[in-house]
Amino acid sequence: MKFSYQSRITASALFMLLVTLLIMAALWFPRTDRTIKVMDLLFVIDITQSMDVKDVDQNGEEISRLTWATEYTKQTLQQLPCGSHVGLAAFTEARSLVLINPVEVCSSYNDLTQMLSKINGSMAWALSSEVSKAAFTAVEQAKLMEPVPDVVFITDGHEAPPLSDTLFPKFKGKLGEVSGVFVGIGGEKLLPIPKHDIDGTDLGVWEQNDVMHEDVYASLRNESVETRAAKPRNEHLSSQKKSHLEQLANMLDFDFVSSPSKPNTVISALEHKVKMRDQVVSYDWAPWFTGIALLFLVLLYFPVRFFRD
Amino acid sequence: MTLLGLQWASPMMFLLLPLVFLPWFTHNQDKTVAWSQFVPVDSLSNMIGFALKLLASLVLAGLILSLAGPYYPEQTVERVGNGAEVVVLVDRSRSMDDPFSTRDKALAVNRTVGKGDSKRRIAQKYLLEFVDKRPDDRFGFVLFSDKALDLLPLSYNKDSIRATIDASALGKGLSETNIAQALIKAGEMYGKEAYHGSRTVLLVSDGGQEFTDEDKQTIAALYKRENLTLYWIYMRSTAGLSLDEEGTDNSWGNTPEKRLHKFFQSLGVPYRVFEIESVKSFSEAIDTIDKQQDQTLIVNEVMPREIKTAPFFWVAMITMLLLMMAQFYTAWGVRKAHE
Repeated sequence: MKFSYQSRITASALFMLLVTLLIMAALWFPRTDRTIKVMDLLFVIDITQSMDVKDVDQNGEEISRLTWATEYTKQTLQQLPCGSHVGLAAFTEARSLVLINPVEVCSSYNDLTQMLSKINGSMAWALSSEVSKAAFTAVEQAKLMEPVPDVVFITDGHEAPPLSDTLFPKFKGKLGEVSGVFVGIGGEKLLPIPKHDIDGTDLGVWEQNDVMHEDVYASLRNESVETRAAKPRNEHLSSQKKSHLEQLANMLDFDFVSSPSKPNTVISALEHKVKMRDQVVSYDWAPWFTGIALLFLVLLYFPVRFFRD
Repeated sequence: MTLLGLQWASPMMFLLLPLVFLPWFTHNQDKTVAWSQFVPVDSLSNMIGFALKLLASLVLAGLILSLAGPYYPEQTVERVGNGAEVVVLVDRSRSMDDPFSTRDKALAVNRTVGKGDSKRRIAQKYLLEFVDKRPDDRFGFVLFSDKALDLLPLSYNKDSIRATIDASALGKGLSETNIAQALIKAGEMYGKEAYHGSRTVLLVSDGGQEFTDEDKQTIAALYKRENLTLYWIYMRSTAGLSLDEEGTDNSWGNTPEKRLHKFFQSLGVPYRVFEIESVKSFSEAIDTIDKQQDQTLIVNEVMPREIKTAPFFWVAMITMLLLMMAQFYTAWGVRKAHE
């Protein structure tokens, strides 16, 4: 197909007119209201001592589970659209202590990240680590907030003291109002846990005889001494307790994500699980107009002759 | 990243910048010329051709740069306001879960407050009210149990301090409290800051504590050095004598709260205690502090980020207009020539 020189030059002039109009639109087209879906989240970070185990690989470096957890939370905050509300809580003993109720993530980003940087094991007020109960309190406390957030619970799942297979804590509250995701962290291998006392003094690692290896009901069961002795005594070591977290997730109708590498993994898991709220934002169309104008110009000036024959 | 004194939201767009050279490779609307030597060399035409290519490059550059999202980052501007800087310390001990007890139990307090309305909740409510009353104040928050954590460094963000105060009212109290640690943490928070105006530490607790001599010295030195004013909102647990009353028997004089009060008085910094035994007196205390702490304060105001795409659009648009007109002129000329 061949056009005359004359028609080609007229066509390109009209094309340029179109581009000019697009640039004018980019400059003057008003912003419009648009609703986007946002989530309200309460991040609960496990600060018990097993979180100090350094078995998370990040760019070839082994960092502690807690370091990973705060860094991951920070990255997730950056990914959340403005309008989402985020609260922070720390978990040790048998409860999640809420540090800040959900606040709008963009305007309070500085305060949230400052607070995240303060979250560490030294703020622990007791040394046990009852993951299940802490998750339950997180859910219960989330219900008291306005708007009610869903929960992102970051933990290695290590219960200390250990739980019985049958007599474990059960969630008695109402399900459905609050959902969320368990984010499991920690490696597959059982590793020694750095030990320190409540004041943070370094005491080496937890030894086999420092911890309980059976749940508190063990002595009530009619098990022979041999059966009990044959059980592994590994509670002083820690790895990611995936099956336990899966079980907990089932109980609470949460999702479970194990060692995610990107913030989007958790965000998309949440999108399937939690309630989304409509947030009206003013939307700027300028990038669309600019993009199309740019594309047209590139087509107009494309050096076709280089690609002929 | 920074370029041309601006920040760029999507610097990846810079990768498109080589596209600005496209016009220089395009052959000008090839028309069939039998032998190019026939075309006379015309310096004016060459110059116009050069100028048109330059203009086209400019449009492309303008569009690409505007897509890269130029903006002036948010800036902090100082202005003079009225108010104070306040670090809030709220006791999280178990006893704060209880409702007020008063000398006159029969009085309406417990009834109007309602069951389950703990001292913690009341403290939350009035602290929030205090925050709302004071638009210029900068607030910080120290969480303390047996350890103290400077959870919220001094911040102008009212949402953050409100949400932190709200969080402090959730859940059960913690077993131990260490007031000395918390007071030191609060003092240290000011140590890191430039002096802006009146600096206050607002301690809300329902009990006293015996401090070690070491802690006492640290606190005294720190509070004097940092020029702090101390307010203690003492939410009395036991119906009894007020802190300033000289009890007839020694048992009252030796209670931890009484000794803490004496220590605070001996600090040598402005100090005032508010003994709260009802919701009403809490609200009065807050009002008093509100009135007292109304001095000149340097306020850092954050100016939000300013999006700076418009100048790039203007350049692109004006240039594009010129190009377009040139092209229409050419089209017109060509048509004329054909006629």
